[in-house]
Amino acid sequence: MAEALLSNKNKKILKDGVWDTNPITYQVLGICSALAVTTQLKTALVMSFGLTFVTAMSNVVISLIRNYIPSQIRIIVQLTVVSALVITIDQLLRAYMFDVSKQLSVFVGLIITNCIVMGRLEAFAMGNPPWKSFLDGLGNGLGYSAVLVIIGIIREIFGSGTLLGYHVIPASFYANGYVNNGMMVLAPGAFFLLGVIVWVQRAISGYSES
Amino acid sequence: MANTNSTRYTFLFAVIVCVVSGVLLSAVSEGLRKQRELNEELEVKRNILKAVALKEPIPPKMKGEDILHVYESKIEELVIDAQGYVVEGRTPGQLTAKDGNLYPLYIYKEDGLVMAYAFPVFGQGLWSVLYGYLAVEADATTIRGITFYKHGETPGLGGEIEKEWFQNNFKGKKIYSLQEHRVTPIIVVRGKAANFFKGEALEHHVDGITAATLTGNGVTGLLDRWIRVYDVYLSRLRKI
Repeated sequence: MAEALLSNKNKKILKDGVWDTNPITYQVLGICSALAVTTQLKTALVMSFGLTFVTAMSNVVISLIRNYIPSQIRIIVQLTVVSALVITIDQLLRAYMFDVSKQLSVFVGLIITNCIVMGRLEAFAMGNPPWKSFLDGLGNGLGYSAVLVIIGIIREIFGSGTLLGYHVIPASFYANGYVNNGMMVLAPGAFFLLGVIVWVQRAISGYSES
Repeated sequence: MANTNSTRYTFLFAVIVCVVSGVLLSAVSEGLRKQRELNEELEVKRNILKAVALKEPIPPKMKGEDILHVYESKIEELVIDAQGYVVEGRTPGQLTAKDGNLYPLYIYKEDGLVMAYAFPVFGQGLWSVLYGYLAVEADATTIRGITFYKHGETPGLGGEIEKEWFQNNFKGKKIYSLQEHRVTPIIVVRGKAANFFKGEALEHHVDGITAATLTGNGVTGLLDRWIRVYDVYLSRLRKI
């Protein structure tokens, strides 16, 4: 098999996850964490990194052993691999990014049950070689990340007037009666944004559920 | 390759997966243990400083070393026994599970003057154990501050106990009734305390969290327990 690492086919695998079959806007998976960790850009970024890492690496591991996994216990084996990766990330965060790990609280642990991870393992990694699986995991992770980052940016700017903790809305605005939008800090704000993003993305990509 | 669906192979495979991931995770956990413990110690000290409401609050982005420095210069650590007497030669850091009848106590002093007494409070919430610190003023009666820093309650519901608005409710409340001359732990009510209580009674009740009554009950319970434990010490400080 002398296929180039980034052949057109492989590029498509990557691009599918980011755009055409984006896990959030197309598959509507991973919504819970997309609502919960996007009040600030920082937590959204860390969560995105965590999920992308877990999806890509678990795809590789499962793909490597896919021919050896007994089919009766394949889901359990997948879960074990995913859990091990997630716990590793959680421990690293606790050691080196303690504040962020506190803000993310249970949501890092909940990557284990994030449908995107299991979904890609079952749908892709069980039937494809490691490199392609890696690209698929990376693509889906990045697709998820893109949506989280967009929501995180909008919610932080309009909900708290900051971006990555730095004030971006000038103090003179507040002096003239501008107030932060409280809804952006709460889950409903994320819901509305998510709806708009799904709408825009589907309008451009031309996907419709029939 | 062997038949991957045979019972023997399946068992063997499961065992290998368990052993490999178990060993890897133990290695990760052990390798990061020191750093994690350092973070936890810092978190405890940061929360004690928060509970006692320093005259000059520490800025949120303060570095770890600086927090430790402030802590050492402002906080005196003591250990008391079940009768409320100071146990000489012990520090809270050395207490282990065996020291069931010994309790840590933290005294916040500003220029030698006692500003607050703080002690750990913990107990079952709805889903998890809640950990926090309660600080009372030098009068040993009025609450100066409370923090909850570790819990596994639902974010947005019971998880609100870690938020400022909830913790601020406790400031100025009393753990001792001057009229009845007895300990009166704080009760977290359902809804707004001011709607149900007036005058002196309002000093012993705080607003609850909507949709988190059971977490609130947990807070009520753990405060009751720990305020009574520490009252044997605090009662001697009251000038009544």
